[in-house]
Amino acid sequence: MSQSRRLGDVKVGDALPDLDVELTAAIIVGGAIASRDFTPVHHDRSAANAAGMSDVFMNILTTNGYLSRFVTDWAGPDAALAKVAIRLGTPNTPGDTMQLRGEVTAVDPEGGTVDIAVAAKNSWGDHATGTVTVALPK
Amino acid sequence: MPNAALEEAFAPFVGQDFGPPEIARDPVNEAMIRQWCDAMGDANPIHWDAEAAAKTHHGGIVAPPTMLQAWILPGVRLADPDRPPSDKQEELHALFNQHGYTGVVATDCEFEFERYLRVGDRVTAKATIESISEEKATALGIGYFVVTRTRFENQDGELVGSMVFRVLKFKPSQPPQQASSGDAAPAKPQRIPAPRGHDNGWWWEALDRGELMIQKCSQCGTLRHPPRPMCHACRSVDWEEQPSAGTGSVHSYVIMHHPPVPGYDFPVAVALVDLDEGTRIVANVVDCPFEDIHIGMKVECSIEELGGVKLPVFRATS
Amino acid sequence: MSITLKDQAAIVGIGQTEFSKNSGRSDLQLACEAVSAAIDDAGIEPSDVDGMTTFSMDLTDDIEVARAVGIGSLTFQSQIPHGGGAALGVLHQAAMAVATGAAKYVVCYRDLNGRSGQRYSEGVSGDLITSDSIHWSWYIPSGLMTPTSWVALVTQRYMHDTGTTSADLAQVAVSTRKHAVTNPNAIFYERPITLEDHQGSRMIVDPLRLYDCCLETDGACACIVTTPERARDLAQKPALIRGVAQGSGADQESMTSFYRDDITALPELGIVANQIYAQSGLTPDDIDAAILYDAFTSIVLFQLEAYGFCKRGEAKDFVKNGNIEVGGRLPVNTHGGQLSEAYIHGMNGVNEGVRLIRGTSVNQPEKSDHVLVTAGVGVPSSAMILGKMD
Ligand SMILES: [Zn+2]
Repeated sequence: MSQSRRLGDVKVGDALPDLDVELTAAIIVGGAIASRDFTPVHHDRSAANAAGMSDVFMNILTTNGYLSRFVTDWAGPDAALAKVAIRLGTPNTPGDTMQLRGEVTAVDPEGGTVDIAVAAKNSWGDHATGTVTVALPK
Repeated sequence: MPNAALEEAFAPFVGQDFGPPEIARDPVNEAMIRQWCDAMGDANPIHWDAEAAAKTHHGGIVAPPTMLQAWILPGVRLADPDRPPSDKQEELHALFNQHGYTGVVATDCEFEFERYLRVGDRVTAKATIESISEEKATALGIGYFVVTRTRFENQDGELVGSMVFRVLKFKPSQPPQQASSGDAAPAKPQRIPAPRGHDNGWWWEALDRGELMIQKCSQCGTLRHPPRPMCHACRSVDWEEQPSAGTGSVHSYVIMHHPPVPGYDFPVAVALVDLDEGTRIVANVVDCPFEDIHIGMKVECSIEELGGVKLPVFRATS
Repeated sequence: MSITLKDQAAIVGIGQTEFSKNSGRSDLQLACEAVSAAIDDAGIEPSDVDGMTTFSMDLTDDIEVARAVGIGSLTFQSQIPHGGGAALGVLHQAAMAVATGAAKYVVCYRDLNGRSGQRYSEGVSGDLITSDSIHWSWYIPSGLMTPTSWVALVTQRYMHDTGTTSADLAQVAVSTRKHAVTNPNAIFYERPITLEDHQGSRMIVDPLRLYDCCLETDGACACIVTTPERARDLAQKPALIRGVAQGSGADQESMTSFYRDDITALPELGIVANQIYAQSGLTPDDIDAAILYDAFTSIVLFQLEAYGFCKRGEAKDFVKNGNIEVGGRLPVNTHGGQLSEAYIHGMNGVNEGVRLIRGTSVNQPEKSDHVLVTAGVGVPSSAMILGKMD
């Protein structure tokens, strides 16, 4: 991770390294607490059951946290996130696997930014899909 | 029919702030940052290694940008189910609930970042109810999309970033599921299996055993699929099962993209296959790039579980 | 002229199964056995039967019985509601059908596993296995579960066989939209599209894109039918029904007739077309405008061929150069169709057909003496030709 990616090294169509996250209750509850989101469905299984879910499910900030980490793992420490825009889909629950995938869809040499189409899939379908814009050093 | 009483009641909420600006209880600090990075598995040194961070253009330890809202969320207080609405957004949701729009689901989330927060910064957030849509019919039920925008500033009044949230407040089209016991099995959506009756159950039972069968008239030998009780050629109701070799070719095909259906993991290819025995069957084609599938392509069958249902699937013949 | 049913029909064959507490077989099989026995009793062949009528409460679709027994084409189908009240209703339907020439041999049937299956005495249960639910189950587990998908499978083969492209389908979408743009009642009033818009629209079920599909709409349509004699005295200029017919093809399934030698042939459309042209004494050359059922762009091409406006495989050329727009050889869906006005299961097209005859369409062609109006494609279908009264 010490090496930062440079704008000139990136081209449209480049794929980010896959990241598969084996989801556990610890990851889901840990993410909720780290984001100070104590909404019961994210840490209390009986509350999740009452909401019609089989188990606790990931909160949106944790999804955003994983997506931004997925991008900066690839982009390196000099990168700066400019935008994360996602459509939310199927819930992330313990025992499932979240598969993060990304592909460069635009490079703006003047603005110094790169658009990455990201998708987080789980066994139900698309957990989140969208675009992350990241500024890279030239 | 749009709900006129509800629409009249929620109109004044549009454009309103949630309440007075929310000021973070704690300044941006390394402990909370580290906890976040641990939870997300984020190894980016700009968030925890002062020396390494100083060498980047960030110039020192900075907070993960998507952590923005965490600085102002109230923590454990959120877990109290009986707390009264504490801001305009919660009042608005309570209003929807009163009118039967009890469901809520977040549909979109958008962060924009102007600058990275540094240790010691203190965040102030100002949230606004930006818009409420007209009534929409959705898969979950009739509802309204509510868009909120939160602006985050630092202690100097500089814009740090913004967050736009779109949620659907809806009238559940199905009654909420009964709360099940704590050890409920994970309910993964599955493909829709066939109902099994007199005329078709045997065919699916054969699939369960791993065999692809074709119905054969005992009287005149005519093969038929899908199974039915009488031979169209001789009107005999006597029939037997004949195993299929499972080889054939694609007669036509489609790629299912939309609408997504839980349990199916679209896009998937579905083909109408001419079996070499002479009957046709509809089934998925797997392990073949969509652009390589073509009419006339030779395929062979295996029987596999897809989305919890044993099905014939076809692959290009090697 | 009026027709009475006196001395117009007779029962010429009867058939039945044994009666038991547990038949041990499906409703469909019971129906097949009884129908088959009646056919034998009458001394006719299954292929002689061209009409079927049953109770709307029956769990067995007429076309499933037709396929299984080897009955081929149908020109008459009906179902009568309200349980036992339908018993002589089906005879009435059959009598009318044979009296008017709508069919030659009509089978009335009813099958019931009323003891071992759904017992009416136990009230309503939601879990019935019907021939309909079994029919769909050959497709749904693989994901082929929407009208778009069933039509796409036929469309793919049609494109392959005829060299038709997605851009050809786009022509139908764009021409139809042009009509909606000037129709204030259309959902897509004043919202034109281009070929590029069509080609850029997202894939729903490859090869069909978003703009190949109709829009789902809330709404309703109705029309009033009476005799020509009465019509003369009423306020509006009548639209005379010059011909009207039903049709179900051999080996018909609902939307999924995938087991015929040529899955793109859609013989039910030809059965309807032959009847309405024969009844009216008109030919495709006499048709000035057409309301073609357009749940999807591709089925407009199928119908242009089936109703005789061009030869097999030539519809892709027929729709070019404004030929299906006002001013072209055959203005099609002058209201904007179901692709762009509204999707009311073809009934908004019936009303537009009437407007074309009255001369009150917002996209009125110069000549509209005879208008073809068609119904759904891929299912047992129907159509009519409207004309002017002298
Ligand atoms: Zn036979």
